[in-house]
Amino acid sequence: MTSVPERSRDAAGATRVVRGGRFRVGGVVRFVFIGVYVAFLLLPLYWMAVTSIKSQDDQLSDPPVWFPSDPTSVNFADALNRFNGWKGLQNSLIIALVTTVLAVALGTTAAYSMARFRTGGKHLAFWFLSQRLMPPIAVIIPIFLLYSRYSEEWFGVTLIDTRIGLILLYTVFALPFTVWMMYAYFRQMPAELEEAALVDGCSRLQALLKIAWPLAAPGIVSAAAFAFIFAWTEFLFAQVLGRSEAVTVPVALAGMITFFQGNLYGQASALTVVSLVPAVLLGILVQRHLVRGLTLGAVQG
Amino acid sequence: MDRHIRWLLVTPAVLIVIALTIFPLGFSLWVSFVQYDFTLGPEHPWVGLDNFVENWKDPVWRASLWRTVWFSLSMVAIELVLGMLLALAMLRPFRGRRALMTLFVIPLFISPVVVGGFFDLFVRRPYGIANQLASWVWPGTVTIDFSNDSPWLYIVLIIADVWQWTPFMFIIILAGLAAIPDTLYEAADLDGAKPRQSFLFVTLPLVLPVVLIAVTFRLIDAAKLFDIIFSLTRGGPGTDTYTTSYYLYQQGFEFFHLGQGTAGAWMFMIMLTFVSYWLVRRLLKPLEEAA
Repeated sequence: MTSVPERSRDAAGATRVVRGGRFRVGGVVRFVFIGVYVAFLLLPLYWMAVTSIKSQDDQLSDPPVWFPSDPTSVNFADALNRFNGWKGLQNSLIIALVTTVLAVALGTTAAYSMARFRTGGKHLAFWFLSQRLMPPIAVIIPIFLLYSRYSEEWFGVTLIDTRIGLILLYTVFALPFTVWMMYAYFRQMPAELEEAALVDGCSRLQALLKIAWPLAAPGIVSAAAFAFIFAWTEFLFAQVLGRSEAVTVPVALAGMITFFQGNLYGQASALTVVSLVPAVLLGILVQRHLVRGLTLGAVQG
Repeated sequence: MDRHIRWLLVTPAVLIVIALTIFPLGFSLWVSFVQYDFTLGPEHPWVGLDNFVENWKDPVWRASLWRTVWFSLSMVAIELVLGMLLALAMLRPFRGRRALMTLFVIPLFISPVVVGGFFDLFVRRPYGIANQLASWVWPGTVTIDFSNDSPWLYIVLIIADVWQWTPFMFIIILAGLAAIPDTLYEAADLDGAKPRQSFLFVTLPLVLPVVLIAVTFRLIDAAKLFDIIFSLTRGGPGTDTYTTSYYLYQQGFEFFHLGQGTAGAWMFMIMLTFVSYWLVRRLLKPLEEAA
C-alpha cells in the first residue's frame, strides 16, 4: 500500500477520497460496488437454478418461494426425456464439435498461409473480418430458401432440418473469428523453426503439420473454444433451419419458454442448468485468451 | 506442391465462405425484386421496388428502426459505464479476485435466448421475485406488470442485455487499464498530480482507444438484437418491442412475405454496413496496423 505505483494505481482505480488520512471511502465504495454487481449477476442465475428444483406448486406460488422445502429432480428428468432435452443436447454437442473441428482446420490453414506468405494481403484479412459485420438476418431468408427448396433440386442433398446444414452454416460464421485469431497468433510466432525444418528436408505441409500446429496449440485451443461456444449458443439459424429433427438446446429451450406460456419453466430451467456446464467449463478454459478472442485480436489481452 | 501451397491452404476457407454468404446474398438480391410470397403462390413475377416500398409504408418497420437505434445506444452506454466502473474496481488485486473474474465472465457463454428466458422467469408476475425485490427497496407493495407496462418492459429488456454484455466491456477495459505502465503514474505523482487529475490526464486518454474498440464491437452486435426479444417479449405487447431483426424475422417466417423481408434485410444491411464501416474506419486503427 505504501509504494508509489500502488498508491497512484489506486488513484486510477476507485475515485478515492481520503478523509482524515485514515478512513478511505474509495475502498469501501469499491467493494460495495463489486458486491452490488455480484448480486445483480447472481440473482437471475440463482432464481433459474432454484426454479429447476422446484415442484410445480412451488413454482406457481404467490408470494414466490425463495427455496423449495422439497427439492425435486423431476424437472430434469422431464426436460431431458419428454421435451427434446436429450435430443437437443446430442444435436448441440455433435454440431458444436464438428463445427469446431472444421472451423479450426480450415481457419488455421488459411491463417497460416496469410501470416507466413502474406497471401491475399490486407484485403483478404479484411474480407474475412467483414463477414462478422454482416447481420445474420440478412442471409437467413435466402439460406432458408436454398436449404428448403433448392439444395435437393440442385445438389441432391437435404440441408433443411439436418445437422449437416447447421454445421456448414456455423462453420462459415465461426471462420472469420478463427482466421483472425490464428492470423494474429501465427504472426507473432517466430518462423525460424519452420524454416529450419524446411532446410532439413520437410515439405511446407509437413512444416505446418509437425512444427507450426503443435507450437500454436494454445492459440488453437482458445480459437476452438470460441467456435464451440458460438455453435453452442447460436439461436436464430437453428430456430429457422432446424425445427423438428435438428433441434439444438437453445431451440428446445425457446420452445419450452415461449410455446407453453409459463407451464414449463421448471423444465426449461433444468435444461438451462445442464447446458451451462460445458459453456462455463470452456469459459474458464479460455479466460486467459478472452480479450483477444472477443475483439478478434484488436486488443492484446 | 510447395509453390502452390499458399493458395491451397487458403482456398477451402474462402470457398466455403463464398458458397454460404456471397451466393445467398446474390440470390436474395433477386428475391427482393420479385414477388416471393408463400401466401400468394408459386410464381415470381418481377415487381421492381415494390418490396422495398412496402417496408417503408409499414409504420412498424419505421418504428422498429428507431427502436433498434435507441435500444443499442442505451444498452451500450450503460454497459460502458458499468464495465468501466467495474474494471476500475477490479484493477488492483485483492483476495478472491480470481474467483470473481471467473464469475463475471459467465454471462458471455450463455445463449442470449436463454438469458431472455430466465429474465422473463425473474420478472413474470406473480411468480417471479422482481416485484418482491422492488418492494424491499421501494416503499409500499410494488406490483409492476413487467411484460406489459411501458416503460418497464423496455427497462427489463435493456437490463437483460446489460446483464449479458457488461462483462464484455469490463474484460476489455480491464485489459486496457492493466496495460498502462506504472511509470506514467509515478511521473504524474512526482509532478504533484492529484488522484482525480491522474485519472483524467493519464488513465482516460490511454484507455480510450481500447474503450472505442469495445464500443464498436458492442454497437455492431447490439444493432442485431433478436434473441432476447424472442424469448422475453416476443415483440409484444403488440409490436411495442419489435427491433429491426425481429421485424424481419416476423415478415419472413411468420407471415412468409419472403420478398418483403429480404428487401428489408438488404436495406438494414446497407445501413448497418455504413455505420460499421464508419465505426471500424475511425476506431479500429490498431486492427489496421496489425494487418
